[in-house]
Parts: sequence; C-alpha cells; structure tokens
Amino acid sequence: MFPTSTQRKHWMFKDEAELYALRVETNRKYIENYLSKFGAAAHPVLSVEEEKALLKFYEYSMMRDIYKRFQPPMPKAVIGTAFNYFKRFYLNNSVMNYHPKEILVTCVYLSCKVEEFNVSISQFVSNIKGDQKKAADVIINNELLLMQQLNYHLTVHNPFRPIEGFLIDIKVRSQLGDPDKLRPEIDELIEKLYLTDGCLLYSPSQIALAAILHSASKNKENLDSYVTQILLGGDASRLTDLIEAVRKIRIMSKPSDVYQPNKELIRAIEKKLELCRNEENNPDSQIYKEKMLELLDGDERPRKIAKVVRKSHVDAKPLSSAASDLDLSP
Amino acid sequence: MEDQVCPRCRTTKYRNPSLKLMVNVCGHSLCESCVDLLFLKGSGSCPECGVPLRRSNFRVQLFEDPVIEKEVDIRKRVLRDYNKKEEDFSSLEEYNDYLEEIEEIIYNLTNGLNTVETNKRIDQYKKENKDVIMKNKMKISKTDIELEELLEIEKQMDEMRKLDQVREEVESKKKKMKIKEAMIDELMFSQGDAKDIVNTFNTNLEEELKKSEKIPDRSTQFSTGIKFGKGTSDFMSTRLEEGPLFVYSPPEIQIEGPVPPCWSDMASYAPHVRITSVDERAGGYDVTLGVLRALQEACFGLYFKNTTS
Repeated sequence: MFPTSTQRKHWMFKDEAELYALRVETNRKYIENYLSKFGAAAHPVLSVEEEKALLKFYEYSMMRDIYKRFQPPMPKAVIGTAFNYFKRFYLNNSVMNYHPKEILVTCVYLSCKVEEFNVSISQFVSNIKGDQKKAADVIINNELLLMQQLNYHLTVHNPFRPIEGFLIDIKVRSQLGDPDKLRPEIDELIEKLYLTDGCLLYSPSQIALAAILHSASKNKENLDSYVTQILLGGDASRLTDLIEAVRKIRIMSKPSDVYQPNKELIRAIEKKLELCRNEENNPDSQIYKEKMLELLDGDERPRKIAKVVRKSHVDAKPLSSAASDLDLSP
Repeated sequence: MEDQVCPRCRTTKYRNPSLKLMVNVCGHSLCESCVDLLFLKGSGSCPECGVPLRRSNFRVQLFEDPVIEKEVDIRKRVLRDYNKKEEDFSSLEEYNDYLEEIEEIIYNLTNGLNTVETNKRIDQYKKENKDVIMKNKMKISKTDIELEELLEIEKQMDEMRKLDQVREEVESKKKKMKIKEAMIDELMFSQGDAKDIVNTFNTNLEEELKKSEKIPDRSTQFSTGIKFGKGTSDFMSTRLEEGPLFVYSPPEIQIEGPVPPCWSDMASYAPHVRITSVDERAGGYDVTLGVLRALQEACFGLYFKNTTS
C-alpha cells in the first residue's frame, strides 16, 4: 500500500526545487572533500548540471541498452524499480563519488531480485557488453553499498499495476469501448517519465492516471466524465489538485519528446569525470586495489573482491579507457 | 564377545566357554588361568608391559576394550584425590576448569603421555590440598545424603507393603477356614442335600475371595523422589500469567484517494476478466483478487500531495 510505504515516507519530495537543492548539497559536499584532499593538484570538478546531464544519459542507456535488449525479456516493474533505485542513489551520492555506469547495472540486478525476476548473475552479465567477469564482480561488490544507500527501502510501488486497475475500471464503469488501444501511448509516456524526476514527486497512481489521460487525449477519447463523476464521485475539492498533478506530469514528459543525447557533451563530461572522480571507488585504480587488499587481510570472506584485485592487475589499463568497459558510450 | 582371546595362552571363548578375562591397572588383559599361573606368589610383572602388578588388583574385565578398563581404573584412582565438589568453587567457570584438568590428567595417564609429569602434578595437588581432600573424604556430600534418604524411604515402603501382604494373606486364610467350618456344621446338622450345600458354600467362598482381593497400592513415587499419578506436581510446571484479553480492532486503511470498488462490486467486473483456472483455484487464488489489488493500487495515493519534505 503506497500511503503507508517507505516510498511515501522517505522518497517523495515536494517539488523540483527541493530535489535540485539536495543535488547541489551532494555536489558541494563531494567537491569540498575533494579539494581538501588534493588542494592545488585538484582537477576541475563537475557541476550539478553536468552531473544531471550524465545521469540522464545513463538513464537513457539503461532504457535502451538493458531493458529493451535484455534476454529473457524483463517485466516492466523490474526496470521501473531499477529507475527508482538509480534516482534515489544519486540524490545523496555524487556522480564523481560512484560512477553511474557501475551503479546502473547494480540497480537493475538488485531490482531483478526484489521484483522476483529470477536471473542468475552469469545470465545477467551475459546481457552486458564488455568484460563480463569484471562486470559481475563490480555488481556484487556494489550491491550491499547500493542497498545501504537506499536505506534498505527496497519495496517500490510502480505505476504499472495502477494502470491495469484504471484500465479495467474504465472498461467496466465508463462508456469507452476498448481501453486497450490506449496502451502504446501509455507505455510511451511512462518510458519518457522515467528519464525525469516524476517518480520522486508524484504517486504511482497519479502517474498512471496522467498516462491514461494523456493517451486518451492523443486517441481523441474523452475520459473527463469518468474521472470527475465516477472516480471522484463528484468531489470537486479534490479535482483541482489532481488535475494540476496530471498536467505537471504530462508537461514533464513532453520536452524530451525524443531524447537525443548530445554525444560531444557527454564525452567531454566523461573525460572530466575520469580526472576528478573518487579513486577509492574506482575498481581500476591503485588506491582501490590497496583498499581491497587491506580489507582482505584478516578477513576470510571476500573472495570475490580478491578476484577483482587480481584481475585488474592483469588488465591494468590507462584510466581514460576505463569508462568504456561496459560499452555504454554512444 | 566371541573373539575374546587371552593374549598369553591364546585360549578363546570358543575353546573354553568358562574363559574369564581379567585386567589390572596397566590395562592389559589375561585369562583367569594365566593369572593363577603367573601370580602364584601374589605379585609379578605384566607379561606385556612389565609393570609390577599385584594379584589382588586383578578384576574381571567388564568392557571388551581393555583400554576402557584401564581408564575406568585410573579415573577411580584420580577421583579419590580430586574429590572437590562444586560447592568448593566460587564460580562455575572455576569448577569447569577443574573438571577439565581432571579429564586431562586421566587422558594423559590412559594414553601414557607425560606420565612422569602428570604424576608429579597429582602429587603436588595432593600436597597442596591435603586437608581439603581429607575433609571431602570424610564429608558425605549433600547429594549423597539425599540419595541415601530416598533409598531409606523406599526400603521402608517396601517393608510396609510386605507386611500388608502378609496380613492380608493371613486374613483370607482365616476367612476360608471360617467358611469351611460353617459348611461342615451345616452338613452335619441340616437336612438338605449335601451337594446343594457344598455348591452354595463354594459360590459364597468365591465371592468372599473376590471382595477381599483389593487392588494393590500403586507406588506413587519414582526412586528419584518425583511424585507421579497424583495430578499436580510442581516439578517443571510453569505458572501461566494471563494478561489482558486480546481485543480485535479492524486495521485502519489509509487510502489517500477515492474509495476503491470492493468485493461485492466484483460481479460487474467479471465479464472483463478471464475465468480462474482449476489449478489456480486449487491454490486458493481467484482472479478477482488480482483485479481488486489493481483497483486498490489505482486509488491509493491519488490525492497524494507532498507538502513537507
């Protein structure tokens, strides 16, 4: 139930300004820490806008490269939950601290588990281009970190079930003959909305209703009487808020009619990121290997981590090419 | 026990059914006749390990493995000195350490490890704890006393029961005699048929005997002193504490939206829903459950408006 969920309690925000303030704070914290460590030797850092552009690009690639091509095909709820995890993670963590390419696959892997879409790690990484063994190690090493950063709030309410609820309700209680023809536009809007902050601002049922109303207007159908009379039972006081929410959701998903990543910009940001990122969390860096070795001493458990360390000794490559390992670049 | 064999004369149980293996402190066995032969003088050395032994120390081997015999023997000897009780220690841990030490000593002696050192240890312990050992030897510990008391009570009960039995027997005999005498009197003085009289008296006798055959008192105590058969016993019984009674209150459902259709409205949804298959129904599932959930989730949170962060 959404009204009593952790999602409602901890991961819903007032408006975009609040989200922006949170991101600025996260960015500022990292930069402060970074500068105090390196001082004059510091490289130029990413701004909030640059971080946002990079995240959007990775969200786009998650939709395009993972969700659409995953074998076996994954249910919608899996990718929806993964998007939620990804967005929540980067509210409190800077892109420069943890590289989105690694967190992204970890989010999808974790959400496969939570949404009961059963794939093994080897099956999972076989869907990822590049070094699969390394990808598996990265995912497993990051999984606990991700859960911790999510505060272990793993249950996510997605708009997909409410959509089904509305559709069958429309079938029964309205004049609209065949609501199933609305589906293509509904899916389109939901997909677009996941590239925005919509799921952090509006409840899943609001998003679902917005998607259905959007699709209805595209199909030249009218559901106004269903919403005002049947759904709300003529309760006009609630109507204004609901209409406002629906309108905003539709506006949010519009500007990115077709999201076209600016390849030049992304490449530039990636380059900049490689210089200013936190080397302690970069599995290719010397500092990371030393940290892991330290962890290993007197600890019999993390055999997996040892593998990463040993492996990355073998393919020690220059820092700049590390980002293309998972081959998500355009 | 079939392959019991004397290590000296090679006699087996098969060839000599009365074969008795004896064992001494060293833990090597010998048959009875060999013991008679070798220890004619009362003392000698073990033919296997050469340890000087006394004849009087030979015992019948109870366990098949002589090593166990040896261990039992050593344990007896060690415990004669290490006779501290739990009351002699301030904490359970110390007592456990002490028990551990005993086991170590016994193990060492049984397996011949550090024998000299271990014996030294025992001697030192004896010296250090001379008076404690003596005291404990004199003192019969609490548990021993309790056990003895129990045995005493049981003995008394047994005697009482025996007395009862004897008395009853005497009484029933008397009764029989009386009836017999009455019968003879009857036979002597009455005019009726002798056969009838005998028959009636016999049936009378049987009835009397049945009456006197009382159900014997069943004992109501185990040898450990725990009473049974009398219903309530305070051993291991826990008192149940009754708190205030549970009061059911229906769960409060926060909807934050319009009230969703409920179970009774499902009839109108049925034409648009597939029919639940038999397999699904067997597991208790009904398709309307899924519909209800979807409808609920569609309504929950529809009025959501976040004003605080």
